[in-house]
Amino acid sequence: MIQLRNIRKTYGKHSVLNGINITVEKGDVIAILGPSGSGKTTLLRCINFLEHPNEGEITIGEVAVDCKHASKKDVLALRRKTAMVFQHYNLFKHKTVLQNVMEGLTVVQKMPAEEAREISLLMLAKVGLTHKADSYPSQLSGGQQQRVGIARALALNPEVILFDEPTSSLDPELVGEVLTVIQNIAQEGVTMIVVTHEMGFARDISNHIVFMEEGRIIEEGKPQDIFNAPKEERTKQFFKRFTNEWSYSI
Amino acid sequence: MGKSFDIGLILDFIPKLLGYVHVTFLILAGAILIGIVIGFLVALPRLYRIPVLAQIAAVYVSFIRGTPILIQLFLIYYGLPELLKLVSIDISQWSSMFFVIVTYGLSIGGLFSEVIRAAVTSVERGQTEAAYSIGMSPFVAFIRIVLPQSFAIALPNLANLIIAYMKDTSLAFSIGVMDMTGRGQTLGTTTSHFLEVYISLAVIYYLVCILLESIFSRMEKRVSRYERKFG
Ligand SMILES: Nc1ncnc2c1ncn2[C@@H]1O[C@H](COP(=O)(O)OP(=O)(O)OP(=O)(O)O)[C@@H](O)[C@H]1O
Ligand SMILES: [Mg+2]
Repeated sequence: MIQLRNIRKTYGKHSVLNGINITVEKGDVIAILGPSGSGKTTLLRCINFLEHPNEGEITIGEVAVDCKHASKKDVLALRRKTAMVFQHYNLFKHKTVLQNVMEGLTVVQKMPAEEAREISLLMLAKVGLTHKADSYPSQLSGGQQQRVGIARALALNPEVILFDEPTSSLDPELVGEVLTVIQNIAQEGVTMIVVTHEMGFARDISNHIVFMEEGRIIEEGKPQDIFNAPKEERTKQFFKRFTNEWSYSI
Repeated sequence: MGKSFDIGLILDFIPKLLGYVHVTFLILAGAILIGIVIGFLVALPRLYRIPVLAQIAAVYVSFIRGTPILIQLFLIYYGLPELLKLVSIDISQWSSMFFVIVTYGLSIGGLFSEVIRAAVTSVERGQTEAAYSIGMSPFVAFIRIVLPQSFAIALPNLANLIIAYMKDTSLAFSIGVMDMTGRGQTLGTTTSHFLEVYISLAVIYYLVCILLESIFSRMEKRVSRYERKFG
């Protein structure tokens, strides 16, 4: 189980997260939605301490960290319980696809190379990239690179995978392949927190939606409730804009 | 001046001078080793914006850039023993080779640091974050992810510096190191055929230069094989 308690983050005087509470059960898929600048990315990056929260408590499994007094050891412990899929993939450019996936297993988890290789090939099969195992990231399309990113996260067998807009830097025709892969691993029971602007995708894969604005959770609940009958005025506005955008784009 | 020009002498001189080419390589190798250490020591405070040390590093680099290598050589040759005298260490009898290698190491290290700094910052922050996200410590992430890519990026510039300093090793004879140029000097004095000596030296330095260039270009191909190959 994952618990975020009263997470606060400020940049100088600018308060970006104003006390966020979220509980994630094993196998949950949480989608975080909200307008640009509402703090979604910051929240996600606070969970693995790519940003240092000013206050709050993060519990993942048996690791409980008081953010204010987090030690280097605490930070490493949280990072070893989580994995992240980035908007810009962030693959290791000097390593092959297989090496990218193996890196965390051999270097961080100290797994023997043979075993790490087997697991990594299995993960590459899951994202449909076995045939690219020996390619370098620069030889792949954006969609393929992101699938490697997903395999790299998956290989670590983390308690939760954090996705930050995994498809928003992809060409439209490549979005589908990545969403399908994420959907498949969601169905296998992998716990995920997903920040996305793909509303249909959020509705289909998540079992819980969190709607954020200005560093606060405005509303949360089951996807069908949030999408069909939002309670808060701001949530209504937000979804209205999206339905409008959809109707324009057709 | 010299006697009448005799082209045949060049063939005679080249092997004689080549007998000293190892001195050039020795100076260069020593300077590169020291230079790498100095390069990192000078680059790190500026990369991590450590106050005071970063400013000292910047002054160091600008001093190295702004003064001739020959002057640096004399400064170390005469200055270092004086400095160490203050702490009662006597190195005035040490071989001039030592002073040459130290000077060239300190000097090339200052310039290396700029190349290292640029190369390290050009590896996207995102890759370091990805390394952190899979649980690597900052040190391991630097060694395994940032450093190899920085090396590939830095190599062409490092190679240029090394080749430039290889040519500058010809100044080492000014403090009495018997390298090819030093030997050429005595050869010229005894035979009075200075032009033939300098032509021979030009040929040798040029060949060494080409050799280094081909080694580096091979290395570059090897370390940057992960970059996109078109076609
Ligand atoms: N490093 C930083 N320094 C200062 N302010 C920052 C920094 N990172 C984020 N912010 C600010 O924090 C706020 C929240 O940013 P964040 O990236 O979390 O929003 P977001 O919800 O992910 O937006 P988007 O949908 O556009 O990705 C923004 O106002 C942003 O300007
Ligand atoms: Mg964002």
